[in-house]
Amino acid sequence: MREQKKNLTDRFIDLMVFLAYVFLLLPTVIVVLAAFNGGEYLHFPPDGFSLKWFSKLFATEQMMESFFFSIRLALAASVTSTLIGLGAALYVVRYAGRLASVLRPYILSPLMLPSILTGLALMISFYSTGIGGKSFLGLYAGHTLITTPYVFLVVSSVLYNFDYSMEEAARNLGATRLQTFFYVTLPHIKNGIIGSGVFAFITSFDQFPLSLLLTGPGYSTLPVQMFDYLRFEFDPVAAAIATINIVLAYGMMFLMEHSVGLKVLYGGKK
Amino acid sequence: MAVTKAQQAGSRLLLFLPAALWIMIFFVLPYTFLGYVSFKPTSSSSAYLPGFTLDNYVFNLTDSFFWVILAETLLEGVATVLICLLFSYPLAYRLARSRSRHRSLLYMVVISPLLVGVVIRCYGWMVLLADKGLINDLLLKTGIIDAPLPLMYNMFGVMVGLVQVYMPYMVISLTGAIQRINPELEYTARSLGASRFTAFRKITLPMSLPGIMSGSILVFVLTISSYAIPLLLGGNKTLTTPLLIVQTALDAFDWPGGASMAVIMFVIVVTLLSLYIKVLMHAMRGMK
Repeated sequence: MREQKKNLTDRFIDLMVFLAYVFLLLPTVIVVLAAFNGGEYLHFPPDGFSLKWFSKLFATEQMMESFFFSIRLALAASVTSTLIGLGAALYVVRYAGRLASVLRPYILSPLMLPSILTGLALMISFYSTGIGGKSFLGLYAGHTLITTPYVFLVVSSVLYNFDYSMEEAARNLGATRLQTFFYVTLPHIKNGIIGSGVFAFITSFDQFPLSLLLTGPGYSTLPVQMFDYLRFEFDPVAAAIATINIVLAYGMMFLMEHSVGLKVLYGGKK
Repeated sequence: MAVTKAQQAGSRLLLFLPAALWIMIFFVLPYTFLGYVSFKPTSSSSAYLPGFTLDNYVFNLTDSFFWVILAETLLEGVATVLICLLFSYPLAYRLARSRSRHRSLLYMVVISPLLVGVVIRCYGWMVLLADKGLINDLLLKTGIIDAPLPLMYNMFGVMVGLVQVYMPYMVISLTGAIQRINPELEYTARSLGASRFTAFRKITLPMSLPGIMSGSILVFVLTISSYAIPLLLGGNKTLTTPLLIVQTALDAFDWPGGASMAVIMFVIVVTLLSLYIKVLMHAMRGMK
């Protein structure tokens, strides 16, 4: 009797878990299906496999333009934030001492506040100072601001786990400070740095609320362009570009998992 | 090594400086400016007028419309947290206790939606929930319903989107907390005669409370500050505080009005986040 009851509970939990997975993955899977479906709407049964939305996508100039614009922006933001985030992480983990408890939250603070508020603050500031509320510079500044804390988070967690005695050994054997950094430290934290840069890239590429407020004519990021498109048209061209985006994101995720492990980013060990 | 201590400290500080300055210029100063604008008189012809006034705050805090929207936003946050909790707990429990070699893969599947942009995920829901969407199509064809169900451009659609987008954060918080509980405790309770449910209620649930707390606060903060989801899945039918802020500041070009709402929102978020950090610190201390 008791054994049977236990099995029932177990099955119920299994069902809940299964439904939770379906729920989490559903919208992504649906977008991919819609992109390869022949018809305007996804029905049952589907209209058959087709690549026509992709060919229409490649002919939709503004979509392609904003795709490449987003790539350029994400590249600029991720390279910058990787450099400055690495510097900040090195300083906070190694040299800041007791100050670290103040400096760490300071660097992480852009992550804590809603990006819609940050976007508004940046927009009115840029507008007032005449930098222009709607320029590449504004987007670049905002995106780098959002991605730097992630780089800091990943690199500092890698540094916390780094064995310093290896550096001491190198120094004892006569290596200079710079040699030690480039030949001993860097190779060990390299994966962490690459992983954090990749994550910064995805974060910038996906960023929406901040971009919406800072995007202007001729400077539309892909999520903003998709958002505009979805308001007026509902055809699967958006699904086609979204599918490319999804493939890109998942590819990068596997790269990340391979280099540092994704856990570092989401409340993993410090 | 002719470098003095002070010089060395100075050159080390150079590592920190670029990020610190970036955050100062593009984060601290803009927020300060936002606060400054919130105390400026409103103008219909320019962004704001010179002078100092508390009118914007007085106006918002005595405006019943503002309170209704804020209350609805907070309520939406509470509902999202509860639903997330309900769906995440079984999942997190299984993940935490799993000994499968696919465990890290399963974990990745849970957090992978976070890497797909929020616009794309809302779009996926639109394909599913629209009047001509997949779900209505299916229900109509099977004859279960005669007219499409209103599944989006209303509160329901917004809630579906919010829960799906923010659930991974809850799963992560809960998994971490449950992992820290020694499974032996539960086995012991059961071997002493406690039923499975009692063992869960008296041991696992209370011990995972820090994870429940931190996950809930996190999801709550993310939900109430969400902009894209209520905009895309709510259409113009549901208004939340972030939407109201942007409408006021941009569409109505009332910077001081929007800025003062933003500051009120900022205070709510920061208060909740400090609570979140306190909970986390408390949980960490409990670990030692």
